[in-house]
Amino acid sequence: MTVTDQDLVRHLSEAAVSIELQTPEMTLNIGPQHPSTHGVLRLVAQVDGERTHNVQPVIGYMHRGYEKLAEVRNYAQITTLINRIDWVSGYANEVPFIVATEKLMQLEVPERAQYIRLILTEMARISSHLVFMASYPLELGAATPLFFALRDRERVLDLLESVTGGRFHPNFNRIGGVKPNAGAGSTQRKVSQDLPKTFLGETKAAMDKVLESADEIEDLVAGNEIILARTKGIGVIPSDVAASFGLSGPNLRASGVNFDLRKVSDYLPYSKFEFNVPVGENGDCWDRWYLRLLEIRESARIIQQAVDSIPSGPLQAKVPKIFKVPKGEVYVRAENPKGEMGYYIVSDGGLGPYRVKIRSASFSNISILPWLLEGAIIPDIIAVMGSLDFVLGDVDR
Amino acid sequence: MTTSPSEAPAEAPAEEDTTEAASPLADLANEIAGSIAGTAEVNFETAKVRVDPDRWVEALTAARDEHGLLFFSWLSAVDWRNEVAVGDKLTSEVEERYELLAAVSDLTEGRLVIYSTNLDRDKPTIASLTAVYPGANWHEREAAEMFGIDFLGHPQLEKLYLPEGFLGNPLRKSFPLLSREVKPWPGMVDVEGMPGQADEEEPAAEDAEA
Amino acid sequence: MMEFLSNFWVQLVIKLLIAALIVPLVGMVIGFAEMKLSAKMQSRVGPYFAGGRWGWAQLIADGVKFFQKEDLVPAEADRPVYKFAPVLVLVSAVAILVPIPFGPAVVGRDLDLGVFYVLAISTLSTIGVLMAGWSSANKYSLIGGLRAAGQLIAYELPLILAVVGAVIMAGTMSLTGIVNAQATWFSEHGWSLGMPFVLVQFVGFAVFMIASLAELARIPFDMPIAESELVMGYITEYSGFRFLFFFLAEFANMFSLSAIAATLFLGGYWAPGLSERMLNILGPGILFAKIGILVFIMIWFRWTFPRFREDQLQTIAWKWLVPISLANILATGVIKVIA
Repeated sequence: MTVTDQDLVRHLSEAAVSIELQTPEMTLNIGPQHPSTHGVLRLVAQVDGERTHNVQPVIGYMHRGYEKLAEVRNYAQITTLINRIDWVSGYANEVPFIVATEKLMQLEVPERAQYIRLILTEMARISSHLVFMASYPLELGAATPLFFALRDRERVLDLLESVTGGRFHPNFNRIGGVKPNAGAGSTQRKVSQDLPKTFLGETKAAMDKVLESADEIEDLVAGNEIILARTKGIGVIPSDVAASFGLSGPNLRASGVNFDLRKVSDYLPYSKFEFNVPVGENGDCWDRWYLRLLEIRESARIIQQAVDSIPSGPLQAKVPKIFKVPKGEVYVRAENPKGEMGYYIVSDGGLGPYRVKIRSASFSNISILPWLLEGAIIPDIIAVMGSLDFVLGDVDR
Repeated sequence: MTTSPSEAPAEAPAEEDTTEAASPLADLANEIAGSIAGTAEVNFETAKVRVDPDRWVEALTAARDEHGLLFFSWLSAVDWRNEVAVGDKLTSEVEERYELLAAVSDLTEGRLVIYSTNLDRDKPTIASLTAVYPGANWHEREAAEMFGIDFLGHPQLEKLYLPEGFLGNPLRKSFPLLSREVKPWPGMVDVEGMPGQADEEEPAAEDAEA
Repeated sequence: MMEFLSNFWVQLVIKLLIAALIVPLVGMVIGFAEMKLSAKMQSRVGPYFAGGRWGWAQLIADGVKFFQKEDLVPAEADRPVYKFAPVLVLVSAVAILVPIPFGPAVVGRDLDLGVFYVLAISTLSTIGVLMAGWSSANKYSLIGGLRAAGQLIAYELPLILAVVGAVIMAGTMSLTGIVNAQATWFSEHGWSLGMPFVLVQFVGFAVFMIASLAELARIPFDMPIAESELVMGYITEYSGFRFLFFFLAEFANMFSLSAIAATLFLGGYWAPGLSERMLNILGPGILFAKIGILVFIMIWFRWTFPRFREDQLQTIAWKWLVPISLANILATGVIKVIA
């Protein structure tokens, strides 16, 4: 299998020039300051009229050196760092790291804590996909879905804030479970160790609203002919190319690969709930957009089922404040909203890890851009980049 | 180095026994190791296959073609040193080397295998994987600039994250963190309890719960 | 008093004053309407604080703000061209209003070739856009300017062809004459009943509205500006009062093109059952109401639709709008001759 085959039909647009004028090409920098690059991404493109080729992404404007920083911190302190990798879905970044550490310590996490982790991860997924629903039509020119999606996202963020204290960087996981007393200091440990009383009821009500808003967004955006014309057939990624580049999450599933880490891996108790995994057919921008809309609905249903069946119990296993993690190496990966996020931890038995390798989804997702954008015209570059749904913090770590 | 499929489950769901789950992974790892003259181990549900550097590309080509591991997850390295400029020293002496890791997975059952090879500590060089998995392109660029590993045959081995003119390889253990040179981080010392909480303070236990 | 007012020079001064004031006023009113309407559509409030609860002074505040900004010209820009471009765009917006009748006697200058003049002047803004795109010495402006060149010229043709049907039906190019034709359409049969041309020229009306959206470079046809791709297209390097010129010119052009559409298709200043003296007084109000409806539709489209890609845009112009309007002209001519 080679991927240099340029005959693959990736773009339907043909801005063919009938008079072949020899014109020199122009080097255009799209970014790093640009309304549509989701952060400080820079694309250096050779532009001839509207058609571009040799699009090279230049990244690293947000590189914060997390892997190096993790070597001087202990495990609980690293959690504060890794929230900030994919800041749109804050809670979901912590989960694979904590699960990996617990695997090394061979801890058993109480079921209630696992359910809470699952609920919050799915909320993070809804939040991240709603941001995508908001920003993608904006890049295509439609300004109105932005407000509707962000308004509905406020409901989820309010719930997240009520239980974790933070909208974007919850820092709610602890080794062995979740933070025992949400929102108060540990002086009240004897009084109440659990979630706010109204949280579960409010969550269920909010999920009904989220389902309604998903319907509203579908009405507003999905039937719009202009959006269909701008996204169908644009940026087609075949499934073998997607897998070999390391595309994951909705990007991979849109290309027709039915692979969801929630179904095959047991980092959280997803097997207890019924949910579908939407899979696309063509791998174009439309599929990637529509898939995320369907995933919002599936996440809302998972949360409703989880809220109904959440068991009671402690929120954290008994773990001392300062602890050392035994020697070993482990890799745990999770289905984050952007794709597959994983942490490879090399532990030497100390307070902190010897090496942490962070596998972030958006890094691999945008490594396909040079291949995908070859010969694209500028409006299509924006449409395709937006549909990959990446965040620069996730790319640059 | 043994396979350990019967470890205690950390948070496995009720109906799936870890023994069952680890076993296909262990089988796959052993099969791969057998075919490429390497060694396999499965610890903490993570399968690792060690191969020789000369057979690196061959092993991963076989992974893609014969064992169905089509999904390229990541590629990175671990710098094993006995003297470190940052963080804690290793508790036991190791052979100093770079351990190159590449993780690939299948797309049906989610069996992920990490291929590992050891590179020379003074002049780490290895063949590039971009012809086998195009996704390795950026991962190799990152490993090259962070560890100083030279990938032969890589089409575009330029800096990825670091600005041009940056000297040094940051993720090497010999590369210091400037802020740690200035002063040690107060966050690394033992945590004190909140005021008025002395009786509730957990003893600073040295060993983790097992 | 009346002699004073019918002095040619006095009338000229009054007309010049109106022309000078109408663009800022109209620009502010339509701009404010756009802010408030878009806010309502997006579940926001819109301007709220400037000038009391309604925020009506927002655009006055914006105007003052733009004027007091630093006058920046990019170092590599072509200075005379750069400075003249917004002027050209604004002038063409004002000049369109000359022959448009606001009442039977309330008109800047009733030209025999009213329609021809109006369509010709509206093309001047294309040159202004190209000048802006080229002289800014900015690659994004260049791309925006080139897109504008393709788009604005492509949509001139449907714009012109769409009105030919109305001209055929009225039999004259003078705008006052067209309004009269609509007002007195059925009067030869003894009914004092008129007919706005939109009832039979609906195809022409639709084509004209689509083409005028494209001429204004508004969403769904705002490729030249394309805010999420080209930062601001050909307007990127403009700031301060030069940007204000472009900003006001867009709203003034909306007003002008809607005025033409209202005059040609909706009956202009005429409403059934009013005498000529009443029309002189109420005519402007009636015309403003009709313009208001059309402007509302333009604002509505802008916030509902995403934008077309350049090649889709050109396809619509050349493969759809031009043939449809040609067919419209054919049908109108045939029916006019037969009936």
